[in-house]
Amino acid sequence: MLDVIAMHLKLLFDLDNLISDMDEPKYKEIGFKVDDEEHHALIRTRNDLLKKLPDDIAYVYERLKQRYRQAVAPVDNGFCFGCFQKLPTELLTRSKELTTCPNCGRILYFPEQ
Amino acid sequence: MNLASLLSKERIDLSLSPGKKEDVIRTLVYSIKKGEDAELIVSTLLKREELGSTGIGKGIAIPHCRSLAVNKLEISVGRTTKPIQFKAIDKKPVSLIFLIIAPPHDPGNQYLITLGKIVQIAKEITKKNLVNKPTTHEEFITMINDIEKQLGKRK
Repeated sequence: MLDVIAMHLKLLFDLDNLISDMDEPKYKEIGFKVDDEEHHALIRTRNDLLKKLPDDIAYVYERLKQRYRQAVAPVDNGFCFGCFQKLPTELLTRSKELTTCPNCGRILYFPEQ
Repeated sequence: MNLASLLSKERIDLSLSPGKKEDVIRTLVYSIKKGEDAELIVSTLLKREELGSTGIGKGIAIPHCRSLAVNKLEISVGRTTKPIQFKAIDKKPVSLIFLIIAPPHDPGNQYLITLGKIVQIAKEITKKNLVNKPTTHEEFITMINDIEKQLGKRK
């Protein structure tokens, strides 16, 4: 179950980055065409994905997104890549669990090595 | 950032099997990542393609996205042995594909800068009709390096 939640969360986060990139003036300058209808459809897909998450996780995700723009931070070399603080060793052993950074609160993601 | 320095022999396939757009994208992603992470990237890239094809015309496509699955900018290049349908803007099939995956946290916006640079290089490749010219990885990297230098001089 946790794996399914984590997968939805990761995909939701990547889709949110995709949506925000599409709105970047710099992105538009590069010259890729983006279909407006499909853009709206992507926002609907992202909202549907959010509904698939348990309410408490969806609430935390949205709150973090509002605060930091990016709700999830990857862990690299023992550091939270959201706030660049060293994470406690104890937390690093929990890579299979859904966990948050004790400093900034972002949801942590442990990339596969 | 020097684009040629981001290219590696293992991630340049100049005799990629033609197939469906999705399959070709998946093959290129798997040269960078495997397993669950690779599938996450494929899903995001295909969502990006739904927004509008990244086929920029004249036989070149540049599928791209940000993904949690990578912690630095990753590039993979493929040239299919036969052109494939990519729903490109000029509706012509595609044979040269630059696949770009960037990490989500990118303070200097290197991703968009690199993406813009690759689009420029791709346009030079088509303008000079170089899509099918390189026959080895080394020749491909040299070609990119040369184009980058020429573009640098024009600025």
